[in-house]
Amino acid sequence: MRLLIVEDDADLSRQLKSAFKDAGYAVDTAADGEEGHFLGDTEPYDAVILDLGLPLIDGVSVLQKWRADGKDFPVLILTARDQWSEKVAGFDAGADDYLTKPFHVEELMARLRALLRRAAGQTTDTVELGDLLVDNRAARAFIDGMAIKLTSHEFRLLSYMAAHKGRVISRTELVEHIYDQDFDRDSNTIEVFVGRLRKKIGTDRIETVRGLGYRLLDPESEGA
Amino acid sequence: MIFVTLALGLVSRNSSYRSFDEPLEAAVTGLIASVETGEDGVLRLSRELPDPRYQRALSGRYWVIGTATEVVGQDRYFIIPQLSSRSLYGTLLDISNPDYAFLAEQGQEPLRFTTPGPNIDADENLRVIARQVILPNMTTPVVVLAAADRAPVIRSIQNFILTAVTLLLILTMGLIFAVYAQVRIGLRPLFALGKSIADVREGRMASVEGEYPPEIAPLATELNSLISHNKEIVDRAQTHVGNLAHALKTPIAVLRNEAAAAKTTPSRIVTKQTDIMAAQVDHHLRRARAAARGQAIGVRAEMDPVIDGLVRTLPRIYRDKGLKITKTGDPGLIFRGHPRDLEDMVGNLMDNAAKWTSSHIDVTLRKVENGLCRVRIADDGPGLTAADIETALKRGARLDEATPGSGLGLSIVKDLADAYKGSLTFSRSDAGGLQAELHLPIAIDP
Repeated sequence: MRLLIVEDDADLSRQLKSAFKDAGYAVDTAADGEEGHFLGDTEPYDAVILDLGLPLIDGVSVLQKWRADGKDFPVLILTARDQWSEKVAGFDAGADDYLTKPFHVEELMARLRALLRRAAGQTTDTVELGDLLVDNRAARAFIDGMAIKLTSHEFRLLSYMAAHKGRVISRTELVEHIYDQDFDRDSNTIEVFVGRLRKKIGTDRIETVRGLGYRLLDPESEGA
Repeated sequence: MIFVTLALGLVSRNSSYRSFDEPLEAAVTGLIASVETGEDGVLRLSRELPDPRYQRALSGRYWVIGTATEVVGQDRYFIIPQLSSRSLYGTLLDISNPDYAFLAEQGQEPLRFTTPGPNIDADENLRVIARQVILPNMTTPVVVLAAADRAPVIRSIQNFILTAVTLLLILTMGLIFAVYAQVRIGLRPLFALGKSIADVREGRMASVEGEYPPEIAPLATELNSLISHNKEIVDRAQTHVGNLAHALKTPIAVLRNEAAAAKTTPSRIVTKQTDIMAAQVDHHLRRARAAARGQAIGVRAEMDPVIDGLVRTLPRIYRDKGLKITKTGDPGLIFRGHPRDLEDMVGNLMDNAAKWTSSHIDVTLRKVENGLCRVRIADDGPGLTAADIETALKRGARLDEATPGSGLGLSIVKDLADAYKGSLTFSRSDAGGLQAELHLPIAIDP
């Protein structure tokens, strides 16, 4: 999953980026409303964490512009001003959730996971595909209850594919949702990651659809 | 006015009396000129006085010629009449007067006095003028006097005074009324201004409006400047307070997050202390806001947009709960206070209801007596006992540690309600949950 964090305080931004990366997300950051708006407009994020008190363009305006442009990714807004008028304005602008500073990072993460679940139509943080269990909260995967060692990129790949289980995902889409901006993007590396993942979870779990992409097989829908 | 009236009356009376006396003086002089002693020693007139009234019985005009005789032991003199006018008709005039003795000494000045007249029906008030004269061939002096009824004159003077007083009174009333009307009309713009100021203070209007004459217009302008300056100060205080919040909360968040990651003893202490700092910042900033807000003049907030915003937003915040909120009641009410304070009060109560409710929140808004409105928020949750409510209202207390929230929400609502001289009460809702009732001041049309 790829996140955008728009927050002008450098320390907080760094803390959040590192926390979410540890949790298995690809994270981009922006320090002002203009940059944040541009990134949200041009890159495909799975969710955005948006601070309202931003320089250049304020958070509510950025959100309004995104929604007007048809961007429907879930947005969680952060603010120090704990006033109802701000919450009302944020939600009217199109926010999906709200958290006031100071907050506990765990709570922020739980709320973000909830947004992602809702977007994917899921009800829990874990995705089960037969005996494969992907735990998004712990950022771990298990087969038959046994934990599998995955690198961060491998987990991101698995997590993204599990969220879109049964659907064919193009390589480009995978690239856009697994890597953050800084990563040297070469779509060939996706093949490497898919290969490594297959080795760890089982080759027949991931299907290659020639010319279209990859698919994580859901045993239920395949009528196993 | 009274002085003028009295002076007028006095002057006219004196003038009337003087002109009254003249014919009497002339009569006395005429009598003296025509009285003579006959061969038999009896006095007679050589010619009658020209005025026919002296011939007519009890006409009110009389003359008497006679000798003054002292009443023994009484220090009074009376006249023994020797000749008298036909008008007396046989009656006697009561003309005893102690001063007859001085007539001789006085020389040219006649004696003037008043006495009741013989005509009792007419209620005569006779003015008498008397002179003493020594006739040729007589040794003792005779007193010649003429009398005339002054009653008609007195009555006409009284009428005059009455008419004058009445007219002057009317004039006075007219003047008073004219002055009053002029003042009222002249001061009307001031009354209008006063009413406009009252409207602002009662929250019916946001600024003083209206056209005023050049003398007062600067006052209205200055008042509006004062009102907006006051609002500016309050708003600026809020902005400073808000900026402080923004400035403090992010560093606290950063500290807390760093400490959370480290998991050492110092970091546990830092976490605890940053929690305390965050709570204190929240608490004191809210109190400062509430205190500053109460000061602004003429601040008002339409209640419907504020409450509608909350009704829209809370279900989105508690999306997983499938929250349903209904709002009913009187539309168009205007809260006499800052919109943010209204939001804080209603928002915190609705948020509290949302945390505890099963699925449904009812919000009703009604105008009640004493210039207040009642906002009722009822949920269908488990409700609270009286002890729980008391705990919740105590600052910073939290009823259920499992339910997220800063725990300051309800005590802030109470603080703000008190600051606006309203009230917050709790009871059991129809659905068996908690019902919160907030009474707040609203703008009333006069």
